[in-house]
Amino acid sequence: MSTRTLMKDPLNLIIIGAAGQGNVQISLLIGDALVQEGYLVTFGQTYGATQRGGTVTNYLRISQDIQCSPIVPEGKADVVLALEPVEAMRVLRRYGNPGVITIVNARAIHPIDITGGKLAYPDVDDLLHAITRLSARTWVVNATEEAQQLGNPILANTILTGALIGSGALPLDKETMEPLLMERFPKAVEANLMALSRGIDLVNQGGG
Amino acid sequence: MPDIDVDAPGRTVLLMGNEAVARGALEAGVGFAASYPGTPSSEILPAIADVAARRGIYAEWSVNEKVAIESATAASLAGIRAMASMKQNGVNVISDFLANLVMSGVGAGLLLVSCDDPGQRNSSNEQDTRPIAKWLDFPLLEPGDFQEAKDMTKWLFDVSEEFDTVCMLRCVSKISHTRGNVTLGELPAPQYRISFEADKRERGRGSRRHDDLHRRLARAQRRFEQSPFNRYVGPDRPELLIITCGSCWLHSQEAVRLLDLEDRVGILKLGTCWPLPERLIERHLAKSNEVLFVEEIDPFLERSVMELTSALSAMGPRPVFYGKRSGHVNAYGELTPDLVINAIASVMGLTYQARDKEYDREIEALPRGYVVPRAGTLCPGCPHRASFWAIKNAIRMDGRDGFITNDIGCYGVGPTPAGFFVGRDGYCMGSGAGVASGFGKLGQFGFTQPVLAACGDSTFYHAAIPALIDGIHNNSNFILVVFDNSATAMTGFQPHPGIATNAMGGPARVVSIEALCRAMDVRVEVCDPFDLKNTTATLLDMMAMDGGVRVAIMKRQCELTRARQEGPPFKVHVDPDKCVGEECGCDRLCTRIFLCPGLRWNRNTGKAEIDEVICSGCGVCADICPQGAIIREAA
Amino acid sequence: MDSQPPAANKLLNEVVDTGLCCLCGGCSGGCPYLVPYQGRIARLDDCTLAEGQCYQYCPRTPTDMDAISEHIFGQPYGDDEIGVVQEAFLARSADPEIREKGQDGGTVTALLSLALDEGLIDAAVETRMADDRTPQGFVAQSTEDMLSCAGVSYEPSPVLQAFNSLPKESTEKLAIVGLPCHVTCVAKMKTYPPRNRVDMDNVKVVVGLFCGWTLADGFHRFLQDRFDLSQAARFDIPHHPAHTFDVYSESGMESVELDDIRHYINDACSYCWDMTAEFADVSVGSGRAAFKGWNTVIVRTRDGQRVTDIAKAKYALETQPIPTESLDNLRRASLNKKKRALASIIARTGDADNLLYLGLPRNVVDRVLAAGE
Repeated sequence: MSTRTLMKDPLNLIIIGAAGQGNVQISLLIGDALVQEGYLVTFGQTYGATQRGGTVTNYLRISQDIQCSPIVPEGKADVVLALEPVEAMRVLRRYGNPGVITIVNARAIHPIDITGGKLAYPDVDDLLHAITRLSARTWVVNATEEAQQLGNPILANTILTGALIGSGALPLDKETMEPLLMERFPKAVEANLMALSRGIDLVNQGGG
Repeated sequence: MPDIDVDAPGRTVLLMGNEAVARGALEAGVGFAASYPGTPSSEILPAIADVAARRGIYAEWSVNEKVAIESATAASLAGIRAMASMKQNGVNVISDFLANLVMSGVGAGLLLVSCDDPGQRNSSNEQDTRPIAKWLDFPLLEPGDFQEAKDMTKWLFDVSEEFDTVCMLRCVSKISHTRGNVTLGELPAPQYRISFEADKRERGRGSRRHDDLHRRLARAQRRFEQSPFNRYVGPDRPELLIITCGSCWLHSQEAVRLLDLEDRVGILKLGTCWPLPERLIERHLAKSNEVLFVEEIDPFLERSVMELTSALSAMGPRPVFYGKRSGHVNAYGELTPDLVINAIASVMGLTYQARDKEYDREIEALPRGYVVPRAGTLCPGCPHRASFWAIKNAIRMDGRDGFITNDIGCYGVGPTPAGFFVGRDGYCMGSGAGVASGFGKLGQFGFTQPVLAACGDSTFYHAAIPALIDGIHNNSNFILVVFDNSATAMTGFQPHPGIATNAMGGPARVVSIEALCRAMDVRVEVCDPFDLKNTTATLLDMMAMDGGVRVAIMKRQCELTRARQEGPPFKVHVDPDKCVGEECGCDRLCTRIFLCPGLRWNRNTGKAEIDEVICSGCGVCADICPQGAIIREAA
Repeated sequence: MDSQPPAANKLLNEVVDTGLCCLCGGCSGGCPYLVPYQGRIARLDDCTLAEGQCYQYCPRTPTDMDAISEHIFGQPYGDDEIGVVQEAFLARSADPEIREKGQDGGTVTALLSLALDEGLIDAAVETRMADDRTPQGFVAQSTEDMLSCAGVSYEPSPVLQAFNSLPKESTEKLAIVGLPCHVTCVAKMKTYPPRNRVDMDNVKVVVGLFCGWTLADGFHRFLQDRFDLSQAARFDIPHHPAHTFDVYSESGMESVELDDIRHYINDACSYCWDMTAEFADVSVGSGRAAFKGWNTVIVRTRDGQRVTDIAKAKYALETQPIPTESLDNLRRASLNKKKRALASIIARTGDADNLLYLGLPRNVVDRVLAAGE
């Protein structure tokens, strides 16, 4: 049982990334953990044709009492986890507010309009500064690089899950998450546990 | 996907709406499940198929929805509870069968699950399937959350048997694909018994059966008056009554809460959407002066309640109705909590500020270029890209304004940049061949443009065969292009008759598209789309042949399937000395027109590059570069 | 973005879609957007560039004849109806095999073959007929290759597509063989050197062929229907007073009356000003009825002289002087072509000062218009 409580009810978490980045995996891990802790969770997402190169947005709504709508109302995001800087901006435009906590992965993924040369990818530093201005607290995580250092770029998602846990924004701690990781990734338990810890350390609020 | 047959009644888990439906069917003792893939319904069948073997269930991906419901009906008639699930378009495909099915009875419970796609994110059209229940006279329920998705499914098998009729559960994407808390119920021990009378007596003949149907439906309506799936939340005499169903219930609750109107606004959530619980609705209408209908997509409840109201003479002053007719709620697209907030605020003359005004101003001041649209495209290594490249070149070289009639699937990109704009807008499954067959009959009116029909492998089995036979029989002039990537890729790689496995993972007989077409005695060519030169030449030759039906099968495995089995065949890179980029001699052919996500334009160096993380190593781009600057080497 | 229309659009609007295109292939090869196919230029995709080499080098877009003449000959254009004549003579190959395969005297094949043997060139870009006799560009790298290119197809040939497709870093020494339209296109490329294509300094000799007109617009289909083209070895239109199109095969010769195929004469050719390939290094034509089995040869430049001199010295060519009367007849024929061209152009533009693509000095135009038939 986690020692943390819900800092707001409902708590609205938005996880956004380009298709193929693995945000479903992170969302499911957290969603299942929260249901185990006794919360009512609504986890809504986009699907289908957008998998071939488009944006995938996951809304995780967490409450003690209410089964929330699958969509976060405008301006009501409490926590944003963006797997990509342009996607962070996309979310904040619509759902951001002065109190939002933002965690963003620094690696850009170029959409076809940019790789095709039709449009230019904005300057990443400019983007990150803007994101910081529009959030109450921001962490920029180089999850891809960190994952490569741990031996596999696929661990980026677990690192970002760790970052979420470490930020203290969710009523979850390391002890709640570890058994789930072990169950979900039986062939890579050690690597995933390390990745989780690494993510927690990166936002430096201590585990548990 | 979690295994949905976990034996733990009382445990609460996070389940997708579709998974909850599957679980509900298991709890009802379903024995036969059939489906055709279609977003947002596609997860229901596999959830059952994954546990089918150990539960003695038969689960099938049928060739199309018509066969799915027909097969399920047979099971029902033989005493096995059965379910057919599909997206909105599948309901159209089965409508003739349904119109006849309702006239006779069922055996064991028979459930139709229809999943609609409001907002048309993954569909060729936008459509609300609820009215078919009213049109053809059978019971319809819509779940308002994930628990209801399970519980309603389970109950509907009982309803189906009690009133001897097919029943329908209607979901929308935001229920089907959203995960929420579901408390599991008991699972019955798997046991099925055939109980079949070959010569079941009819209830009267012809029109009398229709009368009998109405009587049964009236009895169902009386049962629905008591249903716990119809709920009211709010004050006894609300200033505004919201009547809603489905995921709109969740949005409405959210909206009322955010506007802080829990003491003033009541929400009547209907779960039994046809026949309507008229007495219940009447009672609530009598306590409100204003009613707002919040539903997706059509004004189905709105119109039905308005009809009801005209018949109620003893009601006193009628409430004022707000909804789609009044323009307060969109009659298209998906609803959101914010749209419902706007509707309520508008009706009640309130204002709502979502967030700090200063924050809004900061957002407005941001450069537009910060938010880059993320368009869909074909995957790197997709054989359809190569097929369309060959088709495009053949059409342009042929010079008679040839075109492709479009159909449904990953290959349905003909009218878009990914398909190099060679296609015209498509319609439904199989319509590519059907419409092409029509164009091919217009020679006598002076139509001379070469016609090609796009058709996927799964689409071929589903719906294209009748049009192909019609075209051959009537000597229609077109080329059927079968995009055979050995997959139903768009919806998630469900097996089809071209693949040697079935839904339950067991072996299945392959029915060869090539063999079928050759048996029809027309010219059939099988091309490898990655061999651009020969594929283009073959297509040109077939177009020049100009007479009757011809079939060109573009045969190459879907890249996503291939990549699961093998590594990349080539290592590809761009030689910057040879790349001329934006200059005459290229004008960025690969990044501007070919549009493979593995190719990237570097504005700083003015050269194309391969994105090594995304590139699949298919090597096709090496053949399109006019300067020979893209180099492929065996991996 | 550019407010100028893309060059490819201009090319299509001004040349291809207006019946001026002679299918020389000069717009294609280095470009992925334009391809010659079955007698027309097909556009595969849209190019956005306002400045395009397709438009720049096309022989039917504005062509400054003086500028080209200055670049190639060092003098203004227009002194002689048959172009610059450094030397003229009659010639034929000394090799009977080449004479048999080639047109008239087989002189072109003899010249190229010798140039190859002597190391003056590494390859020749010529027209070769495919199995169904469709003409297409080909890079010949041996005498055997060259023999397979021998003989005229009488149809337009997109030979320059093969030249433009050569790798731009290639250092091979090249010859190019073409009709006057091809030669004009190559002359434009020499005058305004191309980007992202093979270096024009690699081109050591341009051999031009005399041409009155080509046969197009269904002529190939006519041939396919009428003859078994897989057996056809050679075509010939013997000069006046003959009036036939002859098809030679192993079983002998079959003929078609010229009158029966006149309607296939390419409309685009009626706007053509150049009969003798005036910008070539060496121009070669038929010896005409007076000298059956011989070619008329006009040498125009030092590059041309080098090749013909060696060919004579090494006995690859037999030569004889050309009578003045023959050259005068040639001048008369060339002048008539120019008159017809001006007449067609002016009839089309309705304005004697708008000569479409022809950038000619005023005095040249006046002289041609004034001359009698």
